[in-house]
Amino acid sequence: MKRLIAIVEDEAAIRDNYAAAFTREGYAVRTYANRAQAMSAFAARLPDLAVIDISLEDEPEGGFELCRQLRALSPVLPIIFLTARDSELDAVSGLRLGADDFLTKDLSLAHLSARVNALFRRVEALRKPEQAGDILQRGPLTLDTERMQAQWDGKVVLLSLTEFWIVHALAHHPGHVRNRQQLMDAANVVLDDNTITSHVKRIRRKFQGVDPQFDAVQTVYGMGYRWVE
Amino acid sequence: MSLRLKLLLLGLLTLVLPWAGCRYAREMESALREGEQTSLESVAETLATSLEGRVDLLYRAPTGPDAVDTAALSKSGPYDLRPVALAAAPLLDGYSEDWPHDPSVWAWYEKNAAHRFGVLTGVYERVLFLLLDVRDAHPVFDAPGASPLDPHSLGDRVWLGFQDPAGGERQVFVAASGPGAVTARYVESGEYGQRLAQLEPRIRGVWQLTPGGYRVELRVPLSMLGAGFGVLVDDRDARGGEPLSYGSLHPDDLRTLGHLIMASPDLTTYLAQFSQPGLRLAVTTPAGQVLARVDALKRVAELAPAPPLIARLYRRFVDQPGTQPPIEARVAVYDREHHNVIGELEVTQTPDRWLRLRDRALTRMLNFTLATSIVVVIAMFAFAAWLALRLSRLRQASESALTRTGLVTSFPDTGARDELGDVARSFSRLLGRLNEYTGYLRTLAGKLAHEIRTPLTIVRSSLDNLEAEQVPASARAYLDRARHGSERLNAILLAMGAATRVEEAIGGAERTRFDLVPLIGSAVAAYRSAFPERRFSGELPAGPVTLEGAPDLIVQMLDKLIENAVDFSPPGSTITVRLGLEPGAAVLEVENPGPPLPAGAPGHLFESLWQSRTGGDNRPHFGLGLYIVRLIAEFHGGSASAGDLPGGGGARFSVRLALTG
Repeated sequence: MKRLIAIVEDEAAIRDNYAAAFTREGYAVRTYANRAQAMSAFAARLPDLAVIDISLEDEPEGGFELCRQLRALSPVLPIIFLTARDSELDAVSGLRLGADDFLTKDLSLAHLSARVNALFRRVEALRKPEQAGDILQRGPLTLDTERMQAQWDGKVVLLSLTEFWIVHALAHHPGHVRNRQQLMDAANVVLDDNTITSHVKRIRRKFQGVDPQFDAVQTVYGMGYRWVE
Repeated sequence: MSLRLKLLLLGLLTLVLPWAGCRYAREMESALREGEQTSLESVAETLATSLEGRVDLLYRAPTGPDAVDTAALSKSGPYDLRPVALAAAPLLDGYSEDWPHDPSVWAWYEKNAAHRFGVLTGVYERVLFLLLDVRDAHPVFDAPGASPLDPHSLGDRVWLGFQDPAGGERQVFVAASGPGAVTARYVESGEYGQRLAQLEPRIRGVWQLTPGGYRVELRVPLSMLGAGFGVLVDDRDARGGEPLSYGSLHPDDLRTLGHLIMASPDLTTYLAQFSQPGLRLAVTTPAGQVLARVDALKRVAELAPAPPLIARLYRRFVDQPGTQPPIEARVAVYDREHHNVIGELEVTQTPDRWLRLRDRALTRMLNFTLATSIVVVIAMFAFAAWLALRLSRLRQASESALTRTGLVTSFPDTGARDELGDVARSFSRLLGRLNEYTGYLRTLAGKLAHEIRTPLTIVRSSLDNLEAEQVPASARAYLDRARHGSERLNAILLAMGAATRVEEAIGGAERTRFDLVPLIGSAVAAYRSAFPERRFSGELPAGPVTLEGAPDLIVQMLDKLIENAVDFSPPGSTITVRLGLEPGAAVLEVENPGPPLPAGAPGHLFESLWQSRTGGDNRPHFGLGLYIVRLIAEFHGGSASAGDLPGGGGARFSVRLALTG
């Protein structure tokens, strides 16, 4: 049975283009133009993944509200924010509401597909028992690349998909400097310097939430970042 | 010309007041002079009237007023002698040094060219002094030891003839047997009819030889003298010879021919009653010889205290060059019958009298007008300074309003009710609108980027979908171009939103203490690999430079400066990154060779959307890079500036960052 992706987007052209792309990838797609439509449909049947725009028709913050309601319905459902808004505040708000990723609309469809696939892989991995082969261990850090889960000293650190990929790219070769371009490639995004910086800052903060002494992500000024053990 | 100077000059115009005052003072002075002249004339008239007919008061008349022949006085005959008033008694020594040196007061008598003598008469304290200068080629003395009446021993002799106070004619003679003291004698008929030469000890003098003749100096008490007086010289060329007699006595009987015309001793006393400081009263004979004079011209100091220095200074500006002539009034004194003029009264007044009056008025007026001028000038200057201050505050406010990002909230002088206040208010309104507009422009890029993103997403997602379709090979080129175009459009959008994101990043930035030196060192090392066609030279201090701020932002700021330097420098050139220390601040400088900054740009380079330089690549430039530099510098309590390299050939961008602690 095909996985169902719900697209909540008020811009018809974009909505249809995304729908076409996901259909081509072999997913079943349902599209909604506003929150009311989406919620009534979700009440009947939950999709396997939701791609949500923040401003929906006459609701500038409608996507956030939708995310909150959807997360209440299902704690594991992958939710991706895809929006024209790129402010730091929006990203923080969106991720705090339990979204798995916060993406801006300049993302290419290929990159979007990669993320959707990755999230579905994670959902599958979470259903299966743990497999030791997909674990990356770096000191206190444990990265489960299948479940896309990070642990520090055995404690789970909740990372968005982009954040997970950045941590993975850094920790895969500890001590090696990863420049911004490399990090963007690893995370399947095109971001500007400030967005990378704020991603890294958020990653540090999340790890520091578990271990205040956390200092493994180091900035190499002018070059990029590296993981130190 | 500054406003201050203009108003100062305007204030100086009030100096026209003292100038007009000076002009007025001159007018006043001539009016005063005329008035003084009139009053002086009336004084003279009054005095002359009081002297009318008082011949006795004018002239010495021992036999009573009627004895004086007023007609003779007015005509002043050739034999009359007019003694001058002497300042001191001359020493009887036969020399003329202590006599007045005025040739006009001499009376000359002559027989012929070879025989002549001059008489100078003078009065001092009721004594008549005579100086005789006799020109005689052969002066002859009496024979020594002989009787003065022996005809064979007679030499040159001088006869004085005069009327005694009773009116009788008397004669005395002076003879000498050598130079030296002489005493007059008179001839008396003895008991038996013989002639005797008796000494007259009251008349004495000195006989002295001179190169051209001899000189006799004599004193005669005035008490002996009446009206008539004369001198006669018996000139003998040899002792006992026939004398050559000439002079103002009748040669036959030695009668007096002329008079001794001199003032009554009471005249001076009489005039003295009318004496006033600054006034000179003089009575002269009708011929002009001074009879009496009371001179108080020099006693001006009694009129008023000496003028203060300032008055003397003012006087220099008012007076025409040259001294002020005194004013004079001359009135004839008549006899009782008003037929004859018996004398003249001359009243002279020093100009000081009215000059001092004028000076007092002038000083007061000039003091007042000058003080007014000074007050006006000072007031105008102060007013101008105040205006200039307000204007310069206005100028500074408008200039800083144009160059700074922030809104000008407190524009000066907007509360003033005058025209400057109007200007300030309209400036404030104008700048407020300008600020709104620039604020709109500043956020325009971000807003635009946001608005364009949705249609761009439509284009890009459509292109992505098109990739998956069967596209004929002939159309693939167009697809690629469309994709390339949309990529560039996306890059532009990223650049446009950069400033907004930096502002956000600054808003959420955390301050930490860090050492600037390794940070910049590491960044410069990174630039070497990022821009292989440029060389980088890092000049960093040896010690740590600790700053409190956001290292990420600092690096980002340096990125922008380096991007800028790379854009405007030719490949292969060296970009210098220098970190220096100043008191309280770290100074980061980035120098690049290349074109100089556009004229007038340094003030604007760091403004949002300022673009007046063309870089060497095709990347989009919105003039946001240096704006970001400024934002980050200001976040660190510093400032950014730009200038041409000394000597040209490049640009230098400097960022000052405030050091803490």
